Amino acid sequence: MSPLLVALLGVLLVPLFIATWRSSLVGLGCQGLLMALIARQLQPAPHTVGDWLTLADLAIIRGFVAPLALYTVLRARSTPSRNDVIPPNLLSWTLALGMVLVSFSFAGLLEKVPGDQQTLIAVASTGVMLGFLVLATQSDPFSQMVGALRIENAIALLELGGRRHESPVGIQLGLLGVLLATITFFRSYLITIESSDLDRPEPGTGTEGPTL
Amino acid sequence: MSSLALILGPAVISLGLGVRRIRMRATLILVSTALISTVLAYLCAASRSTAPFLGGYLRVDATSGLFLAVINPIFFGISVYVWNRVSTTPVLQDGIGRFVALSLTLLAASNAALIANHLLVLWVALEITTLAAAPLVIRRGVPASRLASWRYLLFSSVALGLVMLGFICLTRGIELGGQTPTFFLDRLEAVCAASANSWGKLGLALVILGLGTKLGLAPMYSWLPETYDEAPPAVTALLGAIQFNVVLVALLRVVHVFRPVHPGLITLELVAMGLVSMLVSTFSIIATRNMKRLIAHASINHAGVIAIGLGIGKAASYGLLLYVISNAFIKAILFLTAGKIKAHYRTKDTRQIAGLLKDLPYSGIFLMVGTFALLGFPPFGSFFGELLILSALVGSGHLFVFAAFCMLITMTFVATGRTIFPMIWGEPTHNHTWPRQTFLSALPKLFFLLALVVLGVYIPPAVNRLVQQVAVSVEGP
Repeated sequence: MSPLLVALLGVLLVPLFIATWRSSLVGLGCQGLLMALIARQLQPAPHTVGDWLTLADLAIIRGFVAPLALYTVLRARSTPSRNDVIPPNLLSWTLALGMVLVSFSFAGLLEKVPGDQQTLIAVASTGVMLGFLVLATQSDPFSQMVGALRIENAIALLELGGRRHESPVGIQLGLLGVLLATITFFRSYLITIESSDLDRPEPGTGTEGPTL
Repeated sequence: MSSLALILGPAVISLGLGVRRIRMRATLILVSTALISTVLAYLCAASRSTAPFLGGYLRVDATSGLFLAVINPIFFGISVYVWNRVSTTPVLQDGIGRFVALSLTLLAASNAALIANHLLVLWVALEITTLAAAPLVIRRGVPASRLASWRYLLFSSVALGLVMLGFICLTRGIELGGQTPTFFLDRLEAVCAASANSWGKLGLALVILGLGTKLGLAPMYSWLPETYDEAPPAVTALLGAIQFNVVLVALLRVVHVFRPVHPGLITLELVAMGLVSMLVSTFSIIATRNMKRLIAHASINHAGVIAIGLGIGKAASYGLLLYVISNAFIKAILFLTAGKIKAHYRTKDTRQIAGLLKDLPYSGIFLMVGTFALLGFPPFGSFFGELLILSALVGSGHLFVFAAFCMLITMTFVATGRTIFPMIWGEPTHNHTWPRQTFLSALPKLFFLLALVVLGVYIPPAVNRLVQQVAVSVEGP
């Protein structure tokens, strides 16, 4: 599992330094696919509906659906390729790398025995912290969506690492449905929020009619 | 059966609104569904059976009973307000089907969250309330409302993500303690002692932080004033009076289960979040001149009081519940009144509104009484609630918190009064001729007001019994 986790760590970090929206989306897709491979290693022979749902969640929804949903919008808009998910300066990069170090020492506190489990916790914590770094430093919806999806992926990774407790299919479907709905909403907001909206519109402006 | 109908009824009708012929009568359907839900909610609250059903995933206990009996009538009141608004402003007919469908989905999911006996079911229901509410925040032709809606969705997604992360950590903590984890609330009590380790502490801290964010508590509260300000008044009332209480119930359940194992952590985190929320909201109330934002900041202030009460537990619990229930009715009154005032004056700037008692007598009276209740005046439930929380703070030796609480409440009182009182009693700045306000438009708020006074003067024994049962479950060892 370790090479996959190292690859996942790389996928978390690289899009922070190669600042294009395509690299952010490829990064998100790779996270999903790598997590699906990790799930496959942990459960080599998926035999229940729940196992297959987990794989579908990771490989299809997180690996393809989420990045593609955002990609089609940005591509249709011919968005300029440059997109910084964190501010492009030494302070942000130092912070990002510092968070990786903090995550690894934090994982050491939670899981005393060095090994795959410890690395998995470290990578998941890195994912959560970098997701928050993106959210804290960005105000445009696309970068915020990337930040939120990074956090969602990190949570899914941490969930993979725990001992298996099969949730009923109904609940798994509910969780999957919520994820799909969230991605659909993200896409719809990305379509409807124009860049001009972000220039701090005065509250109460616009052609507003009566409201409920 | 009636509890299941509380979820399925609104959900099925919401789906049915896809049919054009049904959509034509959307407001009538909204009001009748809300009325039926209110009756069913009272039946559930009166029922003595607390046995889990539907495979153990749902259960009506005292907490669900009490809050079902609070949110469903409030939803009914809001639906009457919407009905009246639509019938007096025909242009609102456009898009009402969408509003009704989404608000009924919100109601169904809220009822499901209250009845859920399984943490993941509760989580999914909370997510659905968020997904249903986010589009409701958007007002056509107002870009700022679209941004507010996006930020609401973003903060909610992150908050619920933190809650899920917390659940996973708690599960690991219980595993590490040698027990088999479960998400069923009634079974969790038996195994939660195993979570007395780093994973358990981390998980609980994350769950409280996530739910606190959904409640609008500091540090991640910035979505709330923006969303409450930009959303239509009926939606703000739905968010402030209904969704807030649903999230609070989730927090009550977590606190109930884990307080015996992590009492210090719960007190520290909730009291810290509560005090900081009160501090930031007090300064925001002083600074703002926007009527809806002022009420929104007051909501953060109230959330802070609730967090402190919940953090202290023990003797504060009964007062806390009185405060929470009163708070739901206060928010419904104030946001609906603010909507009415804004619709007439076409501004939210408090400096341009004066002499409401002369200009808009009903709205003036509701704003006056709502503000007094908001500030914790007798004879409202909020007064007794606040008093009991303060006395519990002294009783438990939290004297610093007590002093800070009193100082911040006093500052809030002065700042709110300074802004709101001229709106009510000041000399009208313009000569307006307003259309006559109908009794029907005032009816929902009159009902909320009645509930508010009843809570302060005479609590019916059946309600009091429920409040006491919930207080016992929240107060901890």
